[in-house]
Amino acid sequence: MATTHNVTMSATPRDAGRRGAGEARAQEPAIEVNGLTKRYGAFEALRGVDLAVPRGALFGLVGPNGAGKSTLIKALVGALRPSGGGVRVLGLDPLRERAAVRRQLGYMPQSPALYEDLSARDNVAFFGGAHGVPDLRRRVEEVLAFTDLAARAGDGVATFSGGMKRRVSLAAALIHRPPVLFLDEPTAAVDPALRARFWDLFRSLAASGVTLFISTHLMDEALLCDRIAILRRGRIIAADTPRGLLERGRTRLTVRRGGVDEARTIGGRPEDLAAALHPYGLAREIGAVAVEAESLETVILGLIGEE
Amino acid sequence: MNRTLRVARRVLQQLLRDRRLLGLSIVAPLAIVYLLKLFFDTMPPGFNVARYAVPVAAFLVHFLAFLLCAIVLVQERTGGTLERQFINGFRRHEIIGGYLLGYLGLATLQAVAALAEVVLLFGLDYGARTLLALFAVVWALAIASVMLGIFVSTFARRESQVFPFIPLIILPSVFLSGLLFPFIPLIILPSVFLSGLLIDSDRLPAWAELLGRLLPLRYANTVIQELIRPGGALGNVWGSLAALGAYSLVLLLLASRTLPETE
Ligand SMILES: Nc1ncnc2c1ncn2[C@@H]1O[C@H](COP(=O)(O)OP(=O)(O)O)[C@@H](O)[C@H]1O
Ligand SMILES: [Mg+2]
Repeated sequence: MATTHNVTMSATPRDAGRRGAGEARAQEPAIEVNGLTKRYGAFEALRGVDLAVPRGALFGLVGPNGAGKSTLIKALVGALRPSGGGVRVLGLDPLRERAAVRRQLGYMPQSPALYEDLSARDNVAFFGGAHGVPDLRRRVEEVLAFTDLAARAGDGVATFSGGMKRRVSLAAALIHRPPVLFLDEPTAAVDPALRARFWDLFRSLAASGVTLFISTHLMDEALLCDRIAILRRGRIIAADTPRGLLERGRTRLTVRRGGVDEARTIGGRPEDLAAALHPYGLAREIGAVAVEAESLETVILGLIGEE
Repeated sequence: MNRTLRVARRVLQQLLRDRRLLGLSIVAPLAIVYLLKLFFDTMPPGFNVARYAVPVAAFLVHFLAFLLCAIVLVQERTGGTLERQFINGFRRHEIIGGYLLGYLGLATLQAVAALAEVVLLFGLDYGARTLLALFAVVWALAIASVMLGIFVSTFARRESQVFPFIPLIILPSVFLSGLLFPFIPLIILPSVFLSGLLIDSDRLPAWAELLGRLLPLRYANTVIQELIRPGGALGNVWGSLAALGAYSLVLLLLASRTLPETE
């Protein structure tokens, strides 16, 4: 892996140029969403979403099925016209500045969205061809190696397992070295080993400066992101770092004093723990201290449930 | 490479990789023409075989181009590859153009094979000039068929949810998709009866004659009948030829409206 990600995703020359162009641009978030709404008839799939994703972040959009994750991502990649509000990707409007935006973003849809009759190689080359990727043949082999598909590159996608199709789909999203990547539930229905491998790939992409926007309905994956937003019924109900969210949870503190367990529930912040321990000092009679924090999954489910 | 050509190449790759589809689209017309020959051989002497032979070949090319194009495009819509193309920077006109080029490539193969078989089997002695003109008409019809396929693919997706059964009427069990069910009979059956292929248009009641005018096969058939008539000349039917062209143009506009780049 270490050998593959440096050739694949180092910041593009385009990216470097833009960064040099001015501090102001570099400070600007990679992705901005302002008051975004989307209506399907009377149904509101998105009800005023606000978000900002800094450049180079690995951003997780967490939410149950039907929350509006795919709808939000489609609005960001310019596949969907918002009913209200707006989005910007690298400062550009995905609908008005279509051509410029499309060169800069990669999109992996929720369904594989591949040509079953074509080989993995032909699929990736076809989508790469739309971008006029220089030295396309070499680049295709490079992304196929990065996604561990080199051995099966010539086989028809129809013969692939679900996990392999997802890798082809990821390769197709990476082909033109986009500085911003949108991945819609890339790890849904993927076995645990491949899931871990996928997150390694995402991490290595983020390390090379790519901004990743990843949706998931698996709450535990949120822990692997730099920042998380929780989407529920078309609204963002929390946006924070994984640590910040964990601190919103509760902690079960058990202190054994003089052989007797005293248990209570305190807040999730480190300060809460310190404050709870102050009265005890470090007296000899404290025989044991146990701290049991809520998992991120529990915290998120709690947030989703309490709205 | 130009993006239109990339779409065309991809469409052809898909057709070539799918041996079943390719086999059917070349072998099926040949087999049907052969069956037709057996059928016509049972007719009493003096029966005008020529009146049916070439139009049937044209019909087969029309039907298959329409059907294959519609099937592949419905798959693109439901499978998400259409959206993915747009997001990767393919434009609407490039996709339509690519489809047209790709399917014309296939239609050319079909037309050559089917026309050659018809001419050989039925011992038709048309001159090179007539053959070339016939070929051109079949080609023009194929363009209209592709446009019709693109246009119809929009509705097929929705209708498939209403009609989840697959009673295929024309080529039983050949096309497995079923996504297109209501449109196969809707477009193809009227084509057979109202285009003048089986029944001369002037023997049809007025309403049926008018309905036939909505179908591209009617214009192609008129031109073909004139071309194979002894002493026939293209000049006598230029109106029908123009109508075929206009038909493709109108469908092109309709088809491009049914391929929105954003939801
Ligand atoms: N084209 C559409 N027409 C009507 N409703 C839609 C459409 N697309 C999505 N929805 C509805 O919008 C809501 C959000 O969908 P989606 O964004 O796919 O959710 P998620 O990706 O979080 O599972 C769902 O209730 C879904 O049924
Ligand atoms: Mg979704």
